Amino acid sequence: MNAEVVTFLADSLALWQVDGTVTAGALPVVAVIRAGDCTVWVEQSTDDAVPWRWFVRWRDAGMQEERSRPAASLTGMLNAARRALNVERGNALRVVAIAAGG
Amino acid sequence: MIPVSVITGFLGSGKTTLLARLLRDSTMARTAVIINEFGAVGLDHELVETSDESFIQLSNGCLCCNVRSDLVLTLGDLAARRAAGTVPPFERVVIETTGLADPAPILYALMTDRSLCDVYALDGVITTVDAVTGMKTLDSQAEAVRQAAVADRLILTKTDVPETQTAALRARLAAINPGATMLEVVGGAVAPAALFDCGFYDAAGKHPDVPAWLAHEAHGHVQHHKDDITSFCIVRDQPLHAVTLPLLLSALAENCGADLLRMKGLVNVVEEPERPAVIHGVQHVYHAPVWLARWPSDDRRTRMVFIGRNIRESWARSLIELIDSEVANEIARRGEVATV
Repeated sequence: MNAEVVTFLADSLALWQVDGTVTAGALPVVAVIRAGDCTVWVEQSTDDAVPWRWFVRWRDAGMQEERSRPAASLTGMLNAARRALNVERGNALRVVAIAAGG
Repeated sequence: MIPVSVITGFLGSGKTTLLARLLRDSTMARTAVIINEFGAVGLDHELVETSDESFIQLSNGCLCCNVRSDLVLTLGDLAARRAAGTVPPFERVVIETTGLADPAPILYALMTDRSLCDVYALDGVITTVDAVTGMKTLDSQAEAVRQAAVADRLILTKTDVPETQTAALRARLAAINPGATMLEVVGGAVAPAALFDCGFYDAAGKHPDVPAWLAHEAHGHVQHHKDDITSFCIVRDQPLHAVTLPLLLSALAENCGADLLRMKGLVNVVEEPERPAVIHGVQHVYHAPVWLARWPSDDRRTRMVFIGRNIRESWARSLIELIDSEVANEIARRGEVATV
């Protein structure tokens, strides 16, 4: 699964049009993203950290300290990674109910 | 609900001819028509004969640019007049866009405006493509590609003209949007039944265009082409957990943005194995899933069609697998907790 996450994040960078690389990390780090002067570490959490399944840490040249953000789902992990990379992307989902009465 | 169909297509591709011919059919008698014209003096509405007042011309610019102020108000007004009995009780609305319109904002308005959603449901998008000039238009006009990409029905017009490039055009359109049904129509002569009732919204059990989606699947792999549109169909044997769907749609909306032109899916859900859910959306806007009464065939695999720019099939496939795996793990974990 970790290899799939690495490939998936590499595809995500392409989708976000971010020039960067994704490599496997040493557990608990699943993947390391490097883009420009920013490095993002994506960790998969242990069961003890429930409800958080992922932790995203990042640091770039302008930051004094590393920052981190937990995520309860893969969707949240992607959001955190995009935020770390300053990717302005997409929109919040809108689901439209269809009125009854067919 | 009143079904709304959008007829779009590039300038001169035969939208008005198609509409004019359709309106001569007796089954179209209870149809309200909205024609959007670009330019100070509209002509298209003069070319469409109609005998009732359920016919509205919008002339103050392109529909996709003024969609909130014009289309929403117009549809709302039509519904109010219908309820008051001051217009005939129309049972369908057809919107003809300008040739320059990007259909996406129009589809947004139809899908998201609260006042419209109580009355109207988007039935489908019909896109006309000129068989003589279509290839060049697709080369040079991004809007024409988008119009083809969001279509449920692709109508090749003027196929009787000797210099048409019908075979090449069909191949190109199939690459842009293999999930759409393609028809060759001369002089607008086509039965309304072939164009309408695409089945996305119909809670009464009408099946969506599964055969057309399967045609997409038959291509077997991702379709890339110079229009920068990618289309692919993901087929999954294992059913998806219900919770996976909102997570998946959120991830698509937040990560793909405007690059996801259209997504349609027939989904086998773990919790509802006897009836599939139909999902479809335009960019980040999705209809709530519609549950069909039963499977349209013995094939109960999940099938999702993606049409967009710069979206890799491997990304979409992994997204689905990883989210569903995460959901399955969480369900298992909760089961363990409950038994402790």
